[in-house]
Amino acid sequence: MKNDDKIKILVIEDDPVITEFLSTGLKYEGYEVLPRITGKSGLDAWQQIRVDLIILDVMLPDIDGFEVCRYIRDHGSELPILMLTVRKEVSDRVKGLDSGADDYLTKPFSFEELLARIRALLRRGGKVTENSRLRVENLELDLETREVSRSGERVALTPTEFGLLELFMRYPHRVFTRETLLNRVLGYDFDGGTNIVDVHISHLRNKLGDRPPHLIRTIYAVGYAFYPEETSG
Amino acid sequence: MRFWEKLSLRARLGLLYAALLAISVVVVGGYSYWNIWQLFIRNKSCHIRARAKPVIEHWLRDNGLAKADSSLSPLKSQTALLLARDLTSRDTVAIIVNRKGDIIANGKRLPEEPVAPAPDEQYLRRALSGENEVTYRGQVKGKPVLVMLIPLRPHPASARVFGVVQMSTTLADIKAILFRHGAMLVSLMAIILILGITTGFWLIGISLRDLQGLLASCNQISRGNFSKVVSVKNRHDEIGQLALSFNHMLEKLEAAFASQRRFVANAAHELMTPLTGLRGSLEVLLRGAQDDPAAIARLSRGMYKEVNRLIRLCEQLLGLSRLENTVNVCKQPLVLSEFFDDFIARARLLAGERSVVLQPGVDARISADPDLLQQVLLNLLSNALRYSATETLIVISWKLLPQEVEIRVSDQGQGIDAEILPHIFEPFYQGKSVVVSGEKGIGLGLSLAKAMVEAHQGTIRITSEPGEGTTVYFTLPLQ
Ligand SMILES: Nc1ncnc2c1ncn2[C@@H]1O[C@H](COP(=O)(O)OP(=O)(O)OP(=O)(O)O)[C@@H](O)[C@H]1O
Ligand SMILES: [Mg+2]
Repeated sequence: MKNDDKIKILVIEDDPVITEFLSTGLKYEGYEVLPRITGKSGLDAWQQIRVDLIILDVMLPDIDGFEVCRYIRDHGSELPILMLTVRKEVSDRVKGLDSGADDYLTKPFSFEELLARIRALLRRGGKVTENSRLRVENLELDLETREVSRSGERVALTPTEFGLLELFMRYPHRVFTRETLLNRVLGYDFDGGTNIVDVHISHLRNKLGDRPPHLIRTIYAVGYAFYPEETSG
Repeated sequence: MRFWEKLSLRARLGLLYAALLAISVVVVGGYSYWNIWQLFIRNKSCHIRARAKPVIEHWLRDNGLAKADSSLSPLKSQTALLLARDLTSRDTVAIIVNRKGDIIANGKRLPEEPVAPAPDEQYLRRALSGENEVTYRGQVKGKPVLVMLIPLRPHPASARVFGVVQMSTTLADIKAILFRHGAMLVSLMAIILILGITTGFWLIGISLRDLQGLLASCNQISRGNFSKVVSVKNRHDEIGQLALSFNHMLEKLEAAFASQRRFVANAAHELMTPLTGLRGSLEVLLRGAQDDPAAIARLSRGMYKEVNRLIRLCEQLLGLSRLENTVNVCKQPLVLSEFFDDFIARARLLAGERSVVLQPGVDARISADPDLLQQVLLNLLSNALRYSATETLIVISWKLLPQEVEIRVSDQGQGIDAEILPHIFEPFYQGKSVVVSGEKGIGLGLSLAKAMVEAHQGTIRITSEPGEGTTVYFTLPLQ
């Protein structure tokens, strides 16, 4: 994934807390977020700024979310729109899709689910031609076959190790704490100390033949980070 | 009795009706039969007696018996035979009995003339002792005959009876007529009974039809289906009225259940928004935002707000459910001025820089739950604060009415549109009013206020002029 030009997401949602976590979370994932509180200001933003995707709440203080969606579609835009609804009624879903929304998510949704939907929508819209292979230096990671090779040689990894490597390769230079690595790779409700992360990292380094100065660096008193350039340079 | 109780109402009514109809038809038919029988007999006896009277008088005169002394000598058989012959005809035969009760002459001569029955001692004695109208029914060879006894005396006023004429005539002809008549009567009765009973059952069926609809509807309700309304055929009779009020009740029930369902759905809906915020914020934190202190601060502030919102929602829901039980309303005597002095201090604390004015009315004592009353006022005040501009005035006042006190909370805010006003007291209903200051609400404030006022047997209403302001009025009974 090339990040030279960030993907812009317009979030039209009136609840400040939801907007807050959406912005923080999406920014963290590498998206640029434009939060708007009302349907009117959302439409203004849509008209003025080129965005790649809209996350749209159904209940807005001024204009109904469906209406906003219909307005955008009526103006010939094919922009992917993801609706957030509270009501589970089928009629609402139908209405959502009828009004031109591409997908909907029922509150309370999981953020991971939201990310998956966003990725799917962006792929479908052709905005992102996400390669199923991540390649950094001589490391290659195939997301579909879940195979890893270094300098053309196959390396057999456990799912946890694979998850760690994928995370590092997706976000090079980002410093992850042990907690974050634990949460993202082993799940939010994993019980047990963060020491397990050190164990997995050391296994991963061994399998990759990663010798100091490491590809996967230990950042003292914080966690780990992935520095690809350093090894080549 | 057991059997009777096991029958359906319809069968019971039907049987009762059939029995009454049968009894009345049999009584009427039997009486008319007996009456005709009596009429025929009396008619016949009168006729025969009328015919006999001139013949006897003639005979008395011809035989010199009309003189008082002549009757002292015993009646001669030949003389009597003359009379008996004269009185005998095709259908009537006469015999003459002397004072001792012996038959001295029998008028039957020809074979076609009927046979006379032997005189009955008892009736004969009565006739001999001077009774004029002795008539009775007897039998000759098993055939019914009518027997009339006529005492013979020198002249009608004389007390001396020297013999008795027994005239007898057959009743077979009357019997035959009456039999035909009776047969007709019986078949008529049968027809009436059949027609009556069938129409009766039919009529009962019609009147009970609504009842059966009611029954079917009740069964549906016990299975949880409230939509089955009884079709009412006749809205004027009692059963129709019952069905009507039943339908009315059904509508009420259905509405109550629907509003209950809506309430639960709305409550769940209201819970979902803060839960979405909480879940999303936590997830984002766990996924890595926890590494950024600024993000932690922002997200946890939001989460704190959402938790508070959940708590407030739960409190309001509990408040509503508590009010459904009047036991939880602790009324006590309150002096209006004291209560409001106390309240206005609190209100000013809440209002901050906003001006809240108290306009006291005539002082009085009411009986109310001070906590609830305060909550009503706080809910109304919070609306006034939330939906009106900071520089405008909020006025709280009261006015005494004959039986109650009317309390008002009015603001000079944005007001409420007329089409929204009727829904304003519905739980979770939120109008289009713009929040001027403070947090967005949940939509329970006014419905709680309404429930609290109604728990005091009071009423609440709202008037509003868009752009001008809103006034909420509620009443509480005086002590
Ligand atoms: N004084 C007022 N001026 C204008 N609009 C009002 C006023 N009072 C109530 N409303 C309207 O009526 C709606 C229902 O009021 P209610 O108090 O029941 O709920 P709420 O204020 O939205 O939430 P909360 O449960 O926090 O009170 C409000 O959403 C608002 O639109
Ligand atoms: Mg309110």
